Amino acid sequence: MAAPEVHHLFHNPIADHSFSADHATLAVARDSTVELYGKAGNAFKLKDVLKGHDKTVTSVDIAPNSGRIVSCSQDRNALVWEPSPTGYKPTLVLLRISRAATFVRWSPSETKFAVGSGDRVIAVCYFEEENDWWVSKHLKKPIRSTITSVAWHPNSVLLAAGSTDAHARVFSAFVKGVDERPEPGVWGERLPFNTVCGEYLNNSAGWVHSVSFSPSGNALAFAAHDSSITVVYPSGPEQPPRAVLSVPTQMLPFKSLIWKAEDEIIAAGYDCEAFRFQGGEGGWQLVGTVESKGSAGHGEQREESALNMFRQMDLKGKVKDDTQLKTIHQNTISTIRPYEVSGDRVTKFSSSGVDGRVVIWNA
Amino acid sequence: MSIIQQHTAASLTDAWRTVNIDILTEDSSVNFDTSTLHPPQPEVSEADVRTLSTQVRQLLRGGDAEGALRGCLETPVYNGTDGAKEAHLQTIIEVLQSIKASDMTPLLKGIYAAPGGSELLDVLMKYIYKGMASGAPAAAGLKSPAKMTPQSTGFTQIGSRPGASNEPASAAMSVLLSWHEKLVEVAGLGCIGRTMTDWRRV
Amino acid sequence: MAYSKPAATKDWNQPPVAGPHLAPTDVNLLLYSVARSSGPQPKPANSFLRNIGPTQGKQQPLAVMSQSLRPYLQCVRSSLTAALTLSNFASQTTERHNVPEIEAQTSPEVVLTPLVIARNENERVLIEPSINSVRISIKIKQADEIESILVHKFARFLTQRAEAFFILRRKPIPGYDISFLITNFHTEEMLKHKLVDFIIEFQEEVDKEISEMKLFLNARARFVAESFLTPFD
Repeated sequence: MAAPEVHHLFHNPIADHSFSADHATLAVARDSTVELYGKAGNAFKLKDVLKGHDKTVTSVDIAPNSGRIVSCSQDRNALVWEPSPTGYKPTLVLLRISRAATFVRWSPSETKFAVGSGDRVIAVCYFEEENDWWVSKHLKKPIRSTITSVAWHPNSVLLAAGSTDAHARVFSAFVKGVDERPEPGVWGERLPFNTVCGEYLNNSAGWVHSVSFSPSGNALAFAAHDSSITVVYPSGPEQPPRAVLSVPTQMLPFKSLIWKAEDEIIAAGYDCEAFRFQGGEGGWQLVGTVESKGSAGHGEQREESALNMFRQMDLKGKVKDDTQLKTIHQNTISTIRPYEVSGDRVTKFSSSGVDGRVVIWNA
Repeated sequence: MSIIQQHTAASLTDAWRTVNIDILTEDSSVNFDTSTLHPPQPEVSEADVRTLSTQVRQLLRGGDAEGALRGCLETPVYNGTDGAKEAHLQTIIEVLQSIKASDMTPLLKGIYAAPGGSELLDVLMKYIYKGMASGAPAAAGLKSPAKMTPQSTGFTQIGSRPGASNEPASAAMSVLLSWHEKLVEVAGLGCIGRTMTDWRRV
Repeated sequence: MAYSKPAATKDWNQPPVAGPHLAPTDVNLLLYSVARSSGPQPKPANSFLRNIGPTQGKQQPLAVMSQSLRPYLQCVRSSLTAALTLSNFASQTTERHNVPEIEAQTSPEVVLTPLVIARNENERVLIEPSINSVRISIKIKQADEIESILVHKFARFLTQRAEAFFILRRKPIPGYDISFLITNFHTEEMLKHKLVDFIIEFQEEVDKEISEMKLFLNARARFVAESFLTPFD
């Protein structure tokens, strides 16, 4: 198995990252700007800096087909960056929110995107031709706290959202005139805007950090601050779900998760490395780390006298002593995303973290 | 002419400046209803706790430490009076103190491996922290140095040092601390995390 | 800076060990050197007492305190590690603001259950976690009035220089002697496990510092008393 590809871009936190469809461009959210990196040989070189926000940029997403970039920030705004021969042109989105925008994702159809916010709404944005403007509709009820993440269903109508009120919810974000009427599915049959198709809470009620639909869209997974991941299998509209499987772990909480396939989930977070979960409707379990410890570059233990080691253990209550973590990421992983997909399995995924690294892993 | 037409008592004082208007706004995030963060819990009365406590003591006398511990942890008092909560904590501490240090890890591992065991250990973690919090006197209020042992000179070296382990309080603490250590080894840091996030508080 | 104190290594009949350096990097170095008041710079806490007490240092036998200290510090360490899982979180009440939620207390759902870790009734740590900040308050051991005066002075000395400590809170919360406030910006800039080390180290050093100061004070008092009483001998 090939070693993961590590790109150490800078020494700032990367709030979010996104690759273009051809993997030649990498957009990262750094402070109040979005930086675009272009692939040059094996490395990524800074190509362009998109300046337009005046507070921390919280999320960025590149639409795979159109190449449009959407970014959102704690300054309450979201910008759509249109590629043009002279560079990227920003367009302000009419979000109508009065708190930080926290998370943004394009729908698979690329005609809409959803912006989560601290204003306890999700703004579903679409382009209005007659006004030549990105406008938004608000998903409001029953959100009671900041939205931490959103994820689109493959049909571009359903939207999952995780929030700091410890609930993961599934909404309909159907916009008339933009979307095709969706096929009825396990989540619901008639889906007017702001239908709540599901609302899930963990027993130990951690803030939901990340949500994701399975590749088929028939299951939902979310990671919460209680160090657990929960997988929900709905049974049909207006019915209690067939199974809600919660996997509490011994780890620190996970910040982000993706489905590798219907039977495998990859999650990463405060432990600075990615973990693999496997299972199905019968049950899920943590099977191990993605990173193989032997290959980690700086894993070697330093010479240490036994006396000193025991004294450290005795006095400081501490077992090891080093400034370098054994994982590749040296700080919390904030986002993981699928990088390469073959069939319906993710073969490679990318991760970015607070340590300023973007790493491409073999899933 | 002044734009202030009338002086009232309210406009002359500056008390209105300190009013937290967020609390008065029903929709404000300050008024988040935290009871929505957990499913409703059955109420446990003090009498229930006492019955359980006698059962647990019987198990302990019979030498079934694991059964006793499980018995306590399966019925945490999430919803009950302070008296009931306190009584249950005492029962748990009693059980914990009666278990030998060498038995801790195998016992915890046994519970963890059983189905639903992770949940039980989360409950145990909550009680360990509660035990430590209640052992610290006046945890919430101001503790004045007047409570200190009166020593006219203040220069006495010999006497009760707080580090001395023969004090009952600190002995109880050291039991809880060693349980905590063993518990983290078995259930990981996630267990502490769940103690913090869980709104079902003991 | 070697991890072991020169004086301590003498006790252990060992040459200073060069191996496990802390290799402090960037910000960490600054924080660390501040933390290690026993380093090359003069001890700040001692300096204010230096003119009233004899300066020859007396090392407390380290092995004595480790008996019940180790599980206590281990507990603080694991609790802190679990609590320091912070993320960037903008205020929900004030637009365009980003404030430590544990201090603002404006959104109950993002403030978690506080944890108390106690070694005995005189020594305890309070950890108050929230989504983007953690407040850590330490009650330092105080056996008698002298120690409580010393702790008060010591804490005052440190809090007046809070900006050099980054994470030190200017005012301890009621019932505790000293408080720290760690926000997500700290965990982004500094290594998390080093922040935890810093708190642990601080707890340990401060106990030692206080008992050392008390020894100085007692020795000085004895000296003064003797010189006063000599003529009447």
